[in-house]
Amino acid sequence: MPTRSSSPPARPAAPERAGRAGARWRPPHAGTGTAAGRPSRAARSERLAPFVLVAPAVLILVFLRLYPLVLGVNFSFTGDGDRNGSPVGLDNYVYLFQDPLFRDALGNVGLLVLLLPVAVAIPGLLATFIYLRVPGHRLFRSVYFFPAVLSPVIVGAIFNLLLAYDGPANAVLGAFGLGPVDWLGDPAVAMITVVGVHVWATFGMALVVFLAGFATLNSSLLDAARVDGATLPQTIWHVIIPGLSRTIQFVFVTTMIGMLTSMFGLLYVMTSGGPGGATYLPEFYIWIQQGKMNRPALASAASTVLFLVMLVVGLAQIGLLRRSGRED
Amino acid sequence: MRGARLGRWAAAVPMALLALATVYPLLFTGNVAMKTRRDYILDRFAPADSLNADNVVTAWTSVGMGRYFANSLIVVTASVVMLLLIGSMAGFALSRLRFRGSSVVFLGCLAALFVPFQVIMVPLARVMADSGLIDTYPGLVLAYVAQFLPFTVFLMTSYYATIPMEIVDAARIDGNTIYGVYRRIMLPLGAPALLSVGILDALFCWNDVLIALLMMPSAEHRTLMVGVTSLQGQYSDDIPTFGAGVLIAAVPVLMIYLFLQRQIADGVTAGSTKG
Repeated sequence: MPTRSSSPPARPAAPERAGRAGARWRPPHAGTGTAAGRPSRAARSERLAPFVLVAPAVLILVFLRLYPLVLGVNFSFTGDGDRNGSPVGLDNYVYLFQDPLFRDALGNVGLLVLLLPVAVAIPGLLATFIYLRVPGHRLFRSVYFFPAVLSPVIVGAIFNLLLAYDGPANAVLGAFGLGPVDWLGDPAVAMITVVGVHVWATFGMALVVFLAGFATLNSSLLDAARVDGATLPQTIWHVIIPGLSRTIQFVFVTTMIGMLTSMFGLLYVMTSGGPGGATYLPEFYIWIQQGKMNRPALASAASTVLFLVMLVVGLAQIGLLRRSGRED
Repeated sequence: MRGARLGRWAAAVPMALLALATVYPLLFTGNVAMKTRRDYILDRFAPADSLNADNVVTAWTSVGMGRYFANSLIVVTASVVMLLLIGSMAGFALSRLRFRGSSVVFLGCLAALFVPFQVIMVPLARVMADSGLIDTYPGLVLAYVAQFLPFTVFLMTSYYATIPMEIVDAARIDGNTIYGVYRRIMLPLGAPALLSVGILDALFCWNDVLIALLMMPSAEHRTLMVGVTSLQGQYSDDIPTFGAGVLIAAVPVLMIYLFLQRQIADGVTAGSTKG
């Protein structure tokens, strides 16, 4: 986005205004005050202007983002219910790691990390084919992107219909003599199902990001690979992946963040964390403890853990990708 | 050469199937929404007899989706206007003006991008409750603005950084105050970015369910997405009406997608190419 457009609408205005500029001429940046001898009221107003412009953003971020963050970490060391507000040390954290539901949630985070390469490879591969102008690539590009604009709530509701025991998904399997599968009722399958739906709903985002990365790729390298008779897997491995390492890094991080923080809608609509806690994720655990069990301190402790998990995962991925990028 | 062409066609087949799998779920839901309850039970796959809007009307009126739709529209409009105003002001100052602390503010925005809502939602609910803003429109709007402001500021800053300094200087020489530069130069020049970011912000707010659930507990304040979740419990034995409710919630977004696909993609990719 930022590369396009430079100036059009303003240009015509400048000369027209220049006629009366003589009377009101001021050196550029006079308003910043340092050069002017006697700071007038106008100059002071100019000097304050940048602060006035950022003030609303700063106020909102400080009071509604930073302050709650500090408050939340504080909460996590206090008690719920009878012990409301009194300091309890690490009790909440101890409770968390003994709670089977929270352990399930963390286990599912592990599963997400394992599935992450798949969730990145699918849009990456599709973007490669679209970049190589597969027949119909324009159509594919816009069709693939469209679920990305739908709310997880809508996606979840739609897939509840599709994945019903006697619904279309099992009908397709039945046509091949397979199934039926209890997509959302079988604890061993449910989490994979939800992640699959999440990938269905979001791979278009990553695809668009990949395509933007391809636009920066040096196409002569691809031509050279073709002249040398490289196969598609060789081209992907030796030309595309090294050339797109920054894009891939970005997609890895955003996909992981998406998996950890934007599956609430799906879980809420599709499984409510069930069956038997099989589809709990930390964000859902936080919601249940806060919204349903009225245990804000425990929920805050879970929030803090989620934050640390995200920090570790994000830093680890950036580190790994940096190293592999440097080898090339 | 011929081998490569053949390879491309071989790739096109699974990609076409995937495209079908991308579109089919919505078509299925649309079809279900046109059916009567009886037809659905008899055969849920067969095409609906006619373009029957009865279920949509029922969902809109007696189920209350119309009310929820209005709630969403109010909240999303107010949020997006505030986000664009505050975000473009900050973006202009951060990219084109020099002042003490500007890098701290920008880094703060970047850091806030990586703190998910789940991490602050419990204390934020407390802050909102203490200030009497919970279950009010301003409360939800403020929560949305706080949540999506870092993204908005970040994109507006990087967009304004591409506008040549000479234009700002020229406007200053012409006698504009800094506020004048913002109003007469930066707002009009920023229109493409404001459109892209505004659409994305609108989608984020429209599609959100977690923040709305937390900030708007009472039934008459439900946003559309919260409405869909409540529909699911109430109409589990009337799938066509449920499907119609889902359709009502999905259609505005699909419209935006059809007409403004490019702007959405621009917004999504802006962060990635900046790196």
